[in-house]
Amino acid sequence: MAGETVSRGFGLGRPGPRASAGVVWSVFRARLKIITRYKGAVFLESIIPVIFAGLPILLGAAVAGGEQNAANNFFAYTGTTGRTAADFRLYMLMGSNTFMVVTLMLWLIGYWVRREQETGTLEALYLTPAKRFHVLAGVTSYTFIRALIAFLVATVLGALLFNVNPLEGNFLAAVAYLVLGIPALWGISFFFGALVMRIKEANSVIQLLQWVLAFAMGVYFPVTVFPFLLRVVAMGFPPTLMNDAIRSTLLGIASIYGPWYVVLGLMLIAAWLVPLLGYEFFGWTERRVKRDQGVGQF
Amino acid sequence: MAEPIIRAEGLSKTFLSKERKKGEKKRKKEVHALKSVDLEVLDGEVFGLLGPNGAGKTTLIKILTTLLLPTGGSAWVNGYSITKEEDEVRASIGCMLMGDRGLYWKLTGRENLDYFGALYHVPRPDRAKQIEHLIALLKLDDFIDRTVETYSSGQRMIVAFAKSLVNDAPILFLDEPTVTMDVPTARELRRIVKDLNDHGKTILYTTHLMHEAEELCDRVAIIDHGEIIALGTPRELKDSLGHEDVVSLEGIFPDATVSRLRAVPGVLEVAVSAEDDGRSKLDVMVENSRAMLPRIIEAVTGQGSTVEEIRPKEITLEDVFVAKTGRTLAVDTRVVGEKAVRGRGG
Repeated sequence: MAGETVSRGFGLGRPGPRASAGVVWSVFRARLKIITRYKGAVFLESIIPVIFAGLPILLGAAVAGGEQNAANNFFAYTGTTGRTAADFRLYMLMGSNTFMVVTLMLWLIGYWVRREQETGTLEALYLTPAKRFHVLAGVTSYTFIRALIAFLVATVLGALLFNVNPLEGNFLAAVAYLVLGIPALWGISFFFGALVMRIKEANSVIQLLQWVLAFAMGVYFPVTVFPFLLRVVAMGFPPTLMNDAIRSTLLGIASIYGPWYVVLGLMLIAAWLVPLLGYEFFGWTERRVKRDQGVGQF
Repeated sequence: MAEPIIRAEGLSKTFLSKERKKGEKKRKKEVHALKSVDLEVLDGEVFGLLGPNGAGKTTLIKILTTLLLPTGGSAWVNGYSITKEEDEVRASIGCMLMGDRGLYWKLTGRENLDYFGALYHVPRPDRAKQIEHLIALLKLDDFIDRTVETYSSGQRMIVAFAKSLVNDAPILFLDEPTVTMDVPTARELRRIVKDLNDHGKTILYTTHLMHEAEELCDRVAIIDHGEIIALGTPRELKDSLGHEDVVSLEGIFPDATVSRLRAVPGVLEVAVSAEDDGRSKLDVMVENSRAMLPRIIEAVTGQGSTVEEIRPKEITLEDVFVAKTGRTLAVDTRVVGEKAVRGRGG
């Protein structure tokens, strides 16, 4: 449409791959720099799942009259037998760790939108020609690395504290399932980030959503204990799938979704479909916000 | 003759807001922030956009910078449509729209500039050179490597200004860039703006400060209630008032004083600015200040008035705004005069 006015200068509205990669890298590096300037933040958040895992372990021991009894009752009720107290602890630890990863994703992306809105950097960001996809790729790369570090630190801390050895199971496969599950979490976070952009409130929405997800993904139990309808809904949540895949791989128990190739297939579909839907929803909300009030309104 | 580099045709923006009066149901209300604005900013000029809060300046700028979609009309920036070629528009402009906001407080000034330079797709070697150039130009070296959280608000403003220059774009949008700056810094910034303009940048500059607009702008548009009510060079706008003069009075004036003044034959307009301490300033627009002075003094003295200062003054852009709207640009302004009602663009 050039010609309605004179045209001068840059023409970098359509950058090459190098400039696009530069955007992703800059966003990633800036987020990383910012978090490292909050001393101890990454380490402290890794302690939370260890505390969270301690609650059901102690409750189980108290209710069942001993930890082994708790393990026997728990695994018998949930469909597996012959498991040890250490397995019971590892089950809870992995559930808490996975929940931390899910929560981190929601906070890091949802709260990122809110923070940027409040500080005016979201508007500054929208004034640049950087593509939304590249900016989000930078943010999600950062969340990916941070979630992975937090998961590994929490696993090591939990293993030492609860005297469990995750390496007895197929730990690498479990980490691979974690990595494969994260894109679906990005997708959910995009939905969530879009909601935050629209309603301009992060805290109450995240609080509600994270506990709904915690319940639905079966942090402390397999969702097979749910009534039929709730079980179907819960099994449709990508975090439930990821949680189940990690735990069944590490503990060598049967997945509620079926054989490993079904789990892998479902995870691949979720890793592709959910971010795509989330990204589309983010774009749609963004257009609506730009029509109604502008992205800088907070 | 320079060609337009920014053009708006029939640009309008209507917001829907919800209004709830006590005891009544919530209902939707339309707010017309822009009403069919036509505008051309010429390549290489400093174009001033003046108007009080809520006049539509920010809405217009947000639309031109692609932050907001218009309800109607079209606009082009640097030859690109603001609705169809948003990325090209953004690559063509540098912006300082949010004062000292829009910086990451946990990053240093240099890291902020580098970050935004990357987002503008400025290649790394050019970015490094441009940042060094800006540090020298804006004298940032004392604090540029400290995190922004340690800056004074003036330092944040100057780094925000540097951010608008990091992509060396041909068009600059500067929204009240000298707010919160001390006098020497603001003066230096205006000098730099003028210098950037001399080197070919087109600048769209909004301000409340009339002396800034008069000092910097080649042309000025006055916007009020979503409409451009006057447009021209500062000289043309002042000359448009014909042979009108302004007599400025300061002191304590009862409400009746304004009515008495307006009743004096030869008085064209009276604008009132209230001060915090009960004092007020009256700008009385007349055809011939020398001839009218005795009659003005007679109208304001006595009956509870205290006149502290009375002086004829040169016509300013503020007076143009007063003449067009019957109000001053100050926040604490009362609407006076018949012309004011007509001038509100209803």
